[in-house]
Amino acid sequence: MKLTNLEKKIYFNLKLVRKVQLDIINRYHQGDKMKCPMHFCTGQEMMPAAISPYLNRADTIYSHHRSHGYFLCKNGSLKKMFAEFYGKITGTNGGLAGSQELSDSVVNFYSGTILSGALAMGNGSAFASKYKSKKNITISVIGDGGMEEGIVYEAINLAYLYKLPILFICENNIYSTHTHILDRTNSYNFVNKIMPHGIKCLKFNTNNVFQLSKKMKKVIETVRTGKPHFVEIQTYRFGSHVGPEDDDHYNYRSLKEREMWKKKDPILKVKKILSTRKDFYEFDKKFEKNISNKIKKAYEFAEASKFPTSYKQLNLSNSYSKKIKFYNNNIPFGGLQEGHKPKPY
Amino acid sequence: MKKKVRILTFSQAIQEALAQSMKIDKNVFIFGQGVDKTALVFKTTQGLKEKFGKKRIFDTPNAEQGETALAAGAANSGLRPILIHHRVDFMAYTFDQLVNWISLWSFKSAGKNRMPLVIRGIIGKGWGQGPQHAKTLHSMFAYIPGLRVVIPSSPSEAKGLLLSSIFLNDPVIFLEYRALYNTKEYVPLKPYFIDINSPRIRYVGNKITIIAIGSGVLTSIKAIEKIKSKSEIELIDLREIANFNYDKIFKSVKKTGKLIIVEDGWEKFSIASEIISVLSQKGIKLKKPPVKICWPNSHVPMSNPLESKYYPHENQIVKSIKKMI
Repeated sequence: MKLTNLEKKIYFNLKLVRKVQLDIINRYHQGDKMKCPMHFCTGQEMMPAAISPYLNRADTIYSHHRSHGYFLCKNGSLKKMFAEFYGKITGTNGGLAGSQELSDSVVNFYSGTILSGALAMGNGSAFASKYKSKKNITISVIGDGGMEEGIVYEAINLAYLYKLPILFICENNIYSTHTHILDRTNSYNFVNKIMPHGIKCLKFNTNNVFQLSKKMKKVIETVRTGKPHFVEIQTYRFGSHVGPEDDDHYNYRSLKEREMWKKKDPILKVKKILSTRKDFYEFDKKFEKNISNKIKKAYEFAEASKFPTSYKQLNLSNSYSKKIKFYNNNIPFGGLQEGHKPKPY
Repeated sequence: MKKKVRILTFSQAIQEALAQSMKIDKNVFIFGQGVDKTALVFKTTQGLKEKFGKKRIFDTPNAEQGETALAAGAANSGLRPILIHHRVDFMAYTFDQLVNWISLWSFKSAGKNRMPLVIRGIIGKGWGQGPQHAKTLHSMFAYIPGLRVVIPSSPSEAKGLLLSSIFLNDPVIFLEYRALYNTKEYVPLKPYFIDINSPRIRYVGNKITIIAIGSGVLTSIKAIEKIKSKSEIELIDLREIANFNYDKIFKSVKKTGKLIIVEDGWEKFSIASEIISVLSQKGIKLKKPPVKICWPNSHVPMSNPLESKYYPHENQIVKSIKKMI
């Protein structure tokens, strides 16, 4: 049996995200050229890779700050991503925002680091699709830490009420920075808290990306018919909360726990599944080379790009959506504008 | 023959701007708590549901943050949302959306993405509204880069400024003093737009400059009507308080050398303070110390005898003018 196209796509994306992460981690301090905080998603690559085959360019993702996986799986440009980390003008955000707020409207991808704000903005994007009778969906991604903010429950309620084509994904990696989930709430599950809002909920606890992908395909198809969904995936970040080095010295989680999760590494699992295919090693090698090449070119692009030189004018556009001629308001004041005493309300 | 003048209230002018904007652009929609029923936001949304349907104007749960985020996402996807809060006080819930998302959307996309939305907030000022229903937060909004903060002073201004705000590609906080809703004025029928960058000179004069905002403009006019030397007062209506063009103000203050600022808001960290600071940095010399006529640095008392002394009164302005001149 040979690899199917779907398997190739999912495996490639999974590998791409992992390799890019590891490469940045490796270079971060060496060159010291990426001067922005970064939240790596090693260990959490599965969901973005699993949904990647079913998303169109016109679909929108609003992501949390651990966003590199979703960005790449939404076909975000690696060159622009690295340029952004370098603070270069060719970056996704013109070098003004960095990894934490990686956003590129060309691929309809937005992210931010104030936990839950992006999730709630996804509602607006889904609302616009419905308003304009378009078939696009929006995916809002959040971590378990963000799930504790009140705005999440407002957003879920609005999505239910307005029947928005939106998929909420919660990546539950157990820790909010260094605080364990049971120190923050009553269970490992958010599904139980979302269900009563009237939207369909699913929880996944698997390291098999193909199984996950199959189920997510169905979910995405249903969301496209205007039924909001909430999906939670149990996952684990292999690295630290922020930055390339590990944060084990804070003793907030046991090495045993991490090793247990590392044994369940979705990449090891996928390799095991695919190793029986005749052409796996051939493609694996090809992908390896392809990705290394992509990474090399992206660094070259970032290195060669220029730093931005101005920024103040970017805060406001001062432009109008239509051609406007200003009216010179010369209406005289006096007798015609009468004051009034406010009425009781 | 006497021509009949078209007089509208402030509420009617706002309603007309909303209706005309919805007719001009089908991407304009209105939402917020109770906006399509009962008091119809001081009648400013009257008839809109009947005319445009519930797709384009609808009620929401009590979820200010969720609503504001929805407006932001919708604006980023090409719609032009108008979100209404019955009191500015409720907007405190939405500071994350305003500060961390909406205001920096253009900036952090390096100018590639736009956030064309209008958030109407009503300032309760007056009749026992008390500490949680009367305040204004305009100065706090104006502090944040990337937001426009528009405060109209009269019906004709309200219509033109609201239409401009709706079709501007930047986020606008549009603040309405409740005390102005029943004021009346001539308002042209056709849709028209007012330049929000440009303060308006209401009266030309050469002895004293009064700069006023929103309901402060009306209080100033009442004061000016009361004094003999009317023609000596120059009255400037700021219109937009966060990013306006200072040229007219520099010119006026250079001419008069005397300045009174009337602002319905707390005196500390006010727009009045900001203007005086800018003038001082610019090196514009005043003949007399500038006067700020604002709210005391205290929360708003409900009790009527206290409240009636709390808000700036025209007599206070008259007194300052007489003292200065």
